[in-house]
Amino acid sequence: MTQTYEAMVLVSNQVVREDWRKAKSLVAEMLTKHEGSIKTLRRYEERRLAYPIKGNLRATYYLTYFEMPGANVPALRRDMELSESVLRNLVLAVDAVPEEEIAQAALEEDADYTVPEPPADDEPDVEEVSETEDEDIEDEEEVLVGDGDDL
Amino acid sequence: MYNSSNNKKERAAIATKNCDDPVINYKNLDYLEKFLTPQGQILSRRRTGFCTQCQKQLKKAIKNARHLALLPFVN
Repeated sequence: MTQTYEAMVLVSNQVVREDWRKAKSLVAEMLTKHEGSIKTLRRYEERRLAYPIKGNLRATYYLTYFEMPGANVPALRRDMELSESVLRNLVLAVDAVPEEEIAQAALEEDADYTVPEPPADDEPDVEEVSETEDEDIEDEEEVLVGDGDDL
Repeated sequence: MYNSSNNKKERAAIATKNCDDPVINYKNLDYLEKFLTPQGQILSRRRTGFCTQCQKQLKKAIKNARHLALLPFVN
């Protein structure tokens, strides 16, 4: 009995830096190995992790929807856990593949579609940089106010 | 957002009781972050204003997001 599943796979940026399509095929191979029929597979996001995993501060998320016999799912999870390239995985049963997901995955299929190379592991997110800058400015202002009071 | 007020009425007012809100999903991080304290703890049902089923979905979604390092366990 086959069921539709959604899987989010966290792949190490070391693999993605070599070739992001290769990292994608790595996920696809794992699914097909366990008799999974892939509906959509796309690079979801490259982002800074909330906490370090195996020394990685950043990683790339791949989101996939696929059909697979339920009995094969534990073996798939085990396979992902044993893989050194896959940092984390989450497999959930879903009712159907969302239409938005099909459209977004189709965009990625274009040959012209390119992905920027993942930044260095210790590089902070853009938002974080702006926040820290703001804090610095506030601190400076406080210091100035403090000096005024003393005088 | 978490309200640290000691006033009971004020605290009740932040309850965002609306089960018709966007679907609770582990990928919807901006939405999930509303239901975390600054330390990263999940708000109680009293504070979120959710029904039992929605609170359970919220709990599951946040825990899935934590597993994938989308949200922190502890801030």
